[in-house]
Amino acid sequence: MDPCPQCGAAPTSPLACSACGALLDPPADTDPWALFGLEPGPSVDGERLRKELRRVSRLVHPDFHGSDAANRDLAERNSARLNEAYEVLRDDYARADRLVRLLGGPDEQAERQMPQAFLMEVLEWNEAVEEARDAAPGSPPRAALDALSDDLQARREASLAELVVGLEGLPPADNPGLPERLTEARKLLNALRYLDRTLADIRELRLEQAAR
Amino acid sequence: MAFIELDVLNNNAEQLALGIDLGTTNSLAATWRDGRPTVLRPDDGEAVVPSAVYFPEDGFPVVGRGARERAMMDPGHTLFSIKRFMGRGLADVQADLRNVPCDVDENENGVVRFHIRGRQYTPQELSAMILKKVQDVACRALDGAAVTRAVITVPAYFDDAQRQATRDAARIAGLEVLRIVNEPTAASLAYGLDQKGDGRIAVYDLGGGTFDISILSIEEGVFQVLATAGDTHLGGDDLDRALADEARREIAEQIGDEAADDPAFRQALRLAAEHCKVELTRQPRAQMHLSLPDGGQWRRTFTREEFEALAAPWIERTLESCRRALADAGLGTDEIDEVVLVGGSTRVPAVRRRVEEFFGRVPHTELNPDEVVALGAAVQAHVLSGGTRDILLMDVTPLSLGLETMGGAVAKIVHRNSTIPCQATEGFTTYADNQTGIEFNVVQGERELAADCRSLGRFKLTGIPPMPAGMARVAVRFHIDADGLLTVSAKEESTGTSSSIEIQPMNGLTDDQVEVMLRESYEHAQDDFDRRRVADLRAEIGIMTHAARKGLESVGAELDRETREDLEEALAVVEREARSDDAEVVQKARDAFERATLPLASLMMDSVARTALTGKSLDEV
Repeated sequence: MDPCPQCGAAPTSPLACSACGALLDPPADTDPWALFGLEPGPSVDGERLRKELRRVSRLVHPDFHGSDAANRDLAERNSARLNEAYEVLRDDYARADRLVRLLGGPDEQAERQMPQAFLMEVLEWNEAVEEARDAAPGSPPRAALDALSDDLQARREASLAELVVGLEGLPPADNPGLPERLTEARKLLNALRYLDRTLADIRELRLEQAAR
Repeated sequence: MAFIELDVLNNNAEQLALGIDLGTTNSLAATWRDGRPTVLRPDDGEAVVPSAVYFPEDGFPVVGRGARERAMMDPGHTLFSIKRFMGRGLADVQADLRNVPCDVDENENGVVRFHIRGRQYTPQELSAMILKKVQDVACRALDGAAVTRAVITVPAYFDDAQRQATRDAARIAGLEVLRIVNEPTAASLAYGLDQKGDGRIAVYDLGGGTFDISILSIEEGVFQVLATAGDTHLGGDDLDRALADEARREIAEQIGDEAADDPAFRQALRLAAEHCKVELTRQPRAQMHLSLPDGGQWRRTFTREEFEALAAPWIERTLESCRRALADAGLGTDEIDEVVLVGGSTRVPAVRRRVEEFFGRVPHTELNPDEVVALGAAVQAHVLSGGTRDILLMDVTPLSLGLETMGGAVAKIVHRNSTIPCQATEGFTTYADNQTGIEFNVVQGERELAADCRSLGRFKLTGIPPMPAGMARVAVRFHIDADGLLTVSAKEESTGTSSSIEIQPMNGLTDDQVEVMLRESYEHAQDDFDRRRVADLRAEIGIMTHAARKGLESVGAELDRETREDLEEALAVVEREARSDDAEVVQKARDAFERATLPLASLMMDSVARTALTGKSLDEV
């Protein structure tokens, strides 16, 4: 990071100088990892991320920059950038998705063709959700839904672990086999969206049922 | 050390700022004093300002306690629960309109207008009257210090239009809004739970007209909201209404529907139901007593069990929101360390019991649930005035933000429970050659179709340089600021031209309209202030003279003749002087009358009468 233009100290965040409190204005394309002072990678330490969010928020939050309009606008913008980056980094899907794009891999519109067998499975999940919708508590369709939920959760964990292995150690961008690995990651991510959608449907259904 | 230097640059000394709870039923101000938040209570009165406005036949509107007292005598000219109309259109408030005693319509941007005594008032203007009254009370409690900076609270589940309306109301009232803060978040600050170390807390806030549940984590003094859910149309009013509806049903059987729907009677019924509910929080049974429009009397004893059965569906609805918030936070009830109760309606024993059962722990109720939001707002006002850097609030946006797509579906661009400030950028292009404008509809809500969400307004992008279809790359940036308010800006990226955005607000005032209202209120400011003071004093004198007459009737014979004559003379004088429009004259008359009644007051053993004579109203006793 460049030295702080105000005091010359080496800033500990690209968004603000912790030495003099001045707000900085990093380039618009600064990636989420860089905003948190991290190297891009598929896994993050959640505890460390939260700590850094708190530390940098205390530097950039508009609560502490209210007196001057220009400064307040920059505080608003820097806080928003920090929070946006945090949302990306803390979420397994969003983090991997961003990493694939950052490394020049295919975006979510690509690699959407799913194997026939997988699509059949998705149809079965949907049916299981629908059958459980009006079923009584403790009935077989409800028990089947609970089992499905556990199964999908386990598969999600496994997919994420596979993603991390696939994306670990990238960059450098001249890594041999990089395009293939990114394509594989995108396929996994697209399959993950189906899993996540069904898991969200199950969550919604459970909230509805609890309210009855 | 560096921070100290910065603070010196920014603030020479901490300026006083108010924390204002602008409630559906009651409003209140607090400030930071002597190292802690304090409710601002003037020596000669109450801190709480009922959120009611009364319009007398001549003269200026009466706000607060005076308005509430007039409502019984003149229900047709008193407005309550104005907060329910903030940022809403007519179609949203059909149920609430039943309790509005005057004509109502909507302006071209979908802002409700109340027609009363030949004038029209928007909810923003009415809320501004309440805010001014709260400010006035607060300034009196501060020995006349003129404080114009404030943190104002809103329900966490308020959408952009409702927040904007609150902000506009404050502007019309001439207040500088330091921040719009969510009520449950403010309440968590008031409890100072950061002193107890790190943990997760649930704030259950059932107010007069709104319900919020917020789940927060506290780590190293940072209050981070993890999720919030709620209902901006569910509150203590609904519990009153459940009781009132039951009573009305029984009364209608007796006197018919038409008589039971008499507006004045409805108002009386509403107040009786509220009173009955309050009694039932303290005792197992309470009587509702009403004078019927046909002159008859109606008495009915409600038991607490009956009331709880009527209230149960409403309480269950709040628990639905609790489940939703926990699911969004990814937490189970066993992962919540503390539960905090906020809002007057949490005094209802059934509410406390159900919340305790749901979370499996005894909730905090140490602070007055009516004051805790204002106290928390005062803590935040202290932070924003540069008073401390130990506390930081990180709140969320309660509803997802999206754009209507070609097929009428919603493309979400900011998800609910995103930490604010937050931003999102969306790319647009042109579909015709040399097209210079694009129009889009911004919606807020969780539903999949735009028609089922709330439109925040149509945004018209203009000034795109002429180029072939599909070539323009317009980046539209959505920013939700620390107040939870949306701003939209745009830039054509291939040429770097800033495009301008024209906004037609939905259910909101335009800047020009706010300016006009602000100017009007400035022009009348001193006028208004004096007339309002006169109106308030007159109301107070009315109560005092009434009590004095009653006192004379009951114990007057025990006074010596001279004292009695002095008192009768004082009565005549104060009633004459009260007709003056000069606030000073009326104030002097009131004070003189108060002194003249002292011998009578000391005679009267009845504490009710004594309180009334020293200038307090009967219903406070």
